[in-house]
Amino acid sequence: MKPSTRRRLFRGVLYVVFILAVLAIVLLADWKAIGVNFFDVEVAKKAFPTIITVAVKNTIIYTAIAFAGGLALGLILALMKLSPVAPYRWAATAYIELFRGLPALLVIFAFAFAVPIAFSWQWPGGNAGGGLIALIVVSAAYIAETIRAGIQAVPQGQIEAARSLGMGPAWTMVSVTLPQAFRIITPPLTNELVILIKDTSLLFIAGMALADRELTTFARDAVSQNANSTPLVLAALMYLIITLPLTQLVAKLERHNQRGR
Amino acid sequence: MLNNARRTALAAVALSALALTACGGDDSSADGAADSGLGLVSEGTLKVCSEIPYVPFEYVEDGEYTGFDIDLIREIAAGMGLETEIQQSAFEAIQGGTAVSAGMCDLSASAVTITPERSENLLFSDPYYDSLQTLMVPEGSDITGIDDLAGKRVGVQQSTTGAAYAQENVEGAEILEYPGDGELFQAIQAGSIDAILQDIAVNTNHTKDGGFDIVEEYQTDESYGFATKKENTALIEEVNAQLADLRENGKYTEIYDKYFAE
Repeated sequence: MKPSTRRRLFRGVLYVVFILAVLAIVLLADWKAIGVNFFDVEVAKKAFPTIITVAVKNTIIYTAIAFAGGLALGLILALMKLSPVAPYRWAATAYIELFRGLPALLVIFAFAFAVPIAFSWQWPGGNAGGGLIALIVVSAAYIAETIRAGIQAVPQGQIEAARSLGMGPAWTMVSVTLPQAFRIITPPLTNELVILIKDTSLLFIAGMALADRELTTFARDAVSQNANSTPLVLAALMYLIITLPLTQLVAKLERHNQRGR
Repeated sequence: MLNNARRTALAAVALSALALTACGGDDSSADGAADSGLGLVSEGTLKVCSEIPYVPFEYVEDGEYTGFDIDLIREIAAGMGLETEIQQSAFEAIQGGTAVSAGMCDLSASAVTITPERSENLLFSDPYYDSLQTLMVPEGSDITGIDDLAGKRVGVQQSTTGAAYAQENVEGAEILEYPGDGELFQAIQAGSIDAILQDIAVNTNHTKDGGFDIVEEYQTDESYGFATKKENTALIEEVNAQLADLRENGKYTEIYDKYFAE
């Protein structure tokens, strides 16, 4: 057999396997039952427009707060980890290891419930407020490592050049190192943001008022009211509507940055 | 080249047609398999879905599932000559019917209140427990009833009839939904909420050790039922027959007193 024939044959087999897999899924699934349980148009209609005005809105707000907070705290932690003063390095390392090692759900639970019980003190925004602080704390641990890697990836020559122009270390960091570091870490930072969007769904454990529900809590509520799982599918769609354009935008930004280098 | 591509496509279509017929054959043989007539997920065992813990209806003690629902369902299964297998599940999956439709279990026993919405997707047994909603507050609280709740924070369980009751009847208060009784009780201990509105049995359990009082009860005409798939009429009839037997021979009262006698 000629090598080209073998290649074509192999490719043909791959096509057949793919088509068979798709056919198997299409034929074997009980589409009627799926339709009744997960795609009930009436139930979907009932969830609109509240799912947009409450759930999507809150998911975006919580993500924005947690990401902004995580970025600020993460930057401080990254700088601490690169500090020449040892105790700062130790503290940052301990923080990062602790909060990166724990499931976000447990951290949220601890902040929302254990802290108020221990100190007889209430978070602003109640338990949910405490949960949001926990999200900031957790995301900061991940973001800190990303920023640190970004700073270390900036070529040493850039820093030496800035210093030889007479810039102080702090000014060099702010005007030369950090802008380049953030350009380098745009993709992993986007990853953190997308993960955070989904992690807001864990806030349900902290307890929420009706107007404060994010997408997942809202969907679970609607599931129980209608005794039908369609709202979960709707929520899944909403997450995709938020994340897909976001990742596209960042990919564009990244290409733009590549050209700028 | 084009010719080759066409030949590949043809082969694919032929093969998939073959697969199609094969699948059809599989389907009919599965339908034809005979069983006990109860439509059980696995023969000889009654698989039961339950959201645990929900004291005193279902919880874990000494590594075993126990509680009012669990004891009752074990008796029912024994009466039918079946083993019981308890499957922990989220309440959303239970009350929307996904747990039973997905074949996770045959029956749900999870303090499920019988409602018209749920009855659209689930087949309920005869009621086996009548519940009341109650308002529980910390000892010494100035809240004496639903009318004192304005400006306060009330905790309810997400996806429950208690939550629905609070949303309809509580005015001027902030209603906070927690995933379960565990979180609710932590929240009231932390002072994050001023009161809890939920089923009488669960609240009563918290007042046993002192520190909390039930200040009001609400008649909502709600009863719990065991639930299964819409098609499983044979199973529900059998469960109802067993339930009637247990009420008659005193076993029901025995189990009831074990969990609810004051």
